[in-house]
Amino acid sequence: MTEIKVVVPNKLGIHARPAALIVRAAVEFVSDVWVESPADKVNAKSIMGVMTLAASGGTEIVVSADGSDEAEAVEVVAEVIRSGFGEEMI
Amino acid sequence: MLDRYPDPEVFSVGVMYEQLRKRLQLEDMTDTWGYDRMVVSPDISRPGLCLSGYTYKFMHDRIQIFGETEITLLNQLSPLERQAAVKTVFSFPVVCSIVTKGLSPPEELVSASRSSGSALFVSPLDTTPLIHDLTDFFSEVFAPHVSLHGTLVDVYGEGLLVMGRSAIGKSEAVLGLVERGHRLVADDLVRVRKTGNRLIGSGDAMLGFHMEIRGIGFVNIAELFGVGSIKEMQSVDLVVRLFDTDLNDEADRSGLEDKHMSILGVGVPMVEIPVLPGRNITLLLEVAAMMNIQAKDTGSTSAERLNRKLIARMGRKRLRE
Repeated sequence: MTEIKVVVPNKLGIHARPAALIVRAAVEFVSDVWVESPADKVNAKSIMGVMTLAASGGTEIVVSADGSDEAEAVEVVAEVIRSGFGEEMI
Repeated sequence: MLDRYPDPEVFSVGVMYEQLRKRLQLEDMTDTWGYDRMVVSPDISRPGLCLSGYTYKFMHDRIQIFGETEITLLNQLSPLERQAAVKTVFSFPVVCSIVTKGLSPPEELVSASRSSGSALFVSPLDTTPLIHDLTDFFSEVFAPHVSLHGTLVDVYGEGLLVMGRSAIGKSEAVLGLVERGHRLVADDLVRVRKTGNRLIGSGDAMLGFHMEIRGIGFVNIAELFGVGSIKEMQSVDLVVRLFDTDLNDEADRSGLEDKHMSILGVGVPMVEIPVLPGRNITLLLEVAAMMNIQAKDTGSTSAERLNRKLIARMGRKRLRE
């Protein structure tokens, strides 16, 4: 199990489009990948799951993974979040 | 309204007569002379000026309409003058002529038309309504068109153009829609015409409502499922592209991406559906059609509405914190 902490950097937070980007990154890996907000922990490969986090800008998120490529998986997914999804930052 | 319009490439006077004979109540005065001349323009011409000797810019490649003005003019002339007047017109390769209002064409007009190999018809309709009917019909025939490889089906009144590489399962998926009570317009080859800013699709007249299903062969949908399962013409409202994929999908997961396909310069909304084992493509096509109808009715897609809800919820959460 590997995990990285990141902060959602964009103004709108993880709405549908960012959620889709996170899922698209996560499905590339065989490991199980999760994203966790203070309120909930969900499968990063499920777009509905990621959306229900309702993680607004500034929320602290833990990205974790378990499996053969877990180190790379958390790094890639965390980087997608850090990038701010190409949206307006806080 | 005609079921199918003829192709401009084969739109001869004979084809036009066949198509419009009933509607315009045309009577052929020249015994099939000039049926092979091609109709090349959607416009019509009044030959009055040409009859009186002014031939500059005379549009002989248009259909000539002899209304009351022209016939009265001819009748007022002496037989010799009349002969000369019609000769002026028919020294040009006139496409064909129509005499309106059921007026009887002077003998000189009929014989000049016949001897120049140009057809002459008489219609009982008044000139203006006849011209309207004619130009309506012509603008459909001469509308920009394109033939596309795909299947067109009417789902709840929404025209779905299903595209994708051959053998991906377009026909099978659409067969499923027909079985659910939707209507086939064209399989494999869809002719799309642009009238105004609308795209209208229809099938090939020869192919009719046959579908080619691998392993079964040609299936006559009209015979098998009845007349309620087919439709001659349908607007193209949504393009659905089926594509192969492995699990690393490039597909849009949220439905937020706004995709369009340009057909004859008209942007048509498009969804791209990955084909995977176990996916019920028929069901997905039906849902895509319903969602497109709903998006038009409400002005936004369900993805957009869900996203707005989510963003609003995040906003409230931040306020609480």
